[in-house]
Amino acid sequence: MARTSGPEAEGLSRSYVRPCLLLLLAEGPSHGYELLEQVRRAGVRNADAGGLYRSLRAMEQSGLVSSWWEPSQAGPARRSYLLTDEGREALGESLDSLRDVHRLLGEVLNRYDLLGEAASSPHVAELSARSVVMR
Amino acid sequence: MEDLHSPKSDSLRALYWRSEILQVMFWLRGEGFGDLVDAPMIEQFLGVDANIGVTYLARLVDEGYLVRDGDWFALSERGREEGAMEFAASFSDLTRPTHGECSADCWCHSSAEEASTCAAERALHGHED
Repeated sequence: MARTSGPEAEGLSRSYVRPCLLLLLAEGPSHGYELLEQVRRAGVRNADAGGLYRSLRAMEQSGLVSSWWEPSQAGPARRSYLLTDEGREALGESLDSLRDVHRLLGEVLNRYDLLGEAASSPHVAELSARSVVMR
Repeated sequence: MEDLHSPKSDSLRALYWRSEILQVMFWLRGEGFGDLVDAPMIEQFLGVDANIGVTYLARLVDEGYLVRDGDWFALSERGREEGAMEFAASFSDLTRPTHGECSADCWCHSSAEEASTCAAERALHGHED
């Protein structure tokens, strides 16, 4: 049966919304709807419009993002968002911390891989068989 | 989830939530997410408890900024005008004329729509009164 919930379905935790937004806005100014789609594609699959709006407002109040209403000929005005210099600094800090997480996860996975290799080696298999006999 | 912080005094807090609710409704319209909100949406977008949010929504109906249809609320004509003024007045340096950019008789001082158009033109070409 297909999984409909859990980490694979949900992707990254919502705590990654802010670094995602900083990165996406470093690539260029954008609007809310595009940002929501891009944040979801970047891995935060359960990101919602309300959370995105609150993140952007909080980031704006912290000076990381600036925004303005962009008049449209075709419809209502849209809010455009732009990364500030402070936002660029915050992005650097966020990415440093993500690199730390990446390194730590890499170490855990390496240790797990080594465990798997050891378990499948003939020497370990022989030792395991002996321990069963000794019991 | 990030929280917004409202003022502590009742009168300022009412003005704050009025501005926030109208802005979020404009944001939703602009992004194509729709024209209607209910109290749970206000909680989701602004972090104000739905039970409290609904009182602010009802207050905006009384003040003529919103119209109510059951649990759902939409901007009235007055709400759209107020929202336009809110977005022209808040946040952006682009929509807020700075000294030397506009003369006192520039139309952008008298109309939110004119201010937005003026700001867009200024961003593209520099300002001409």
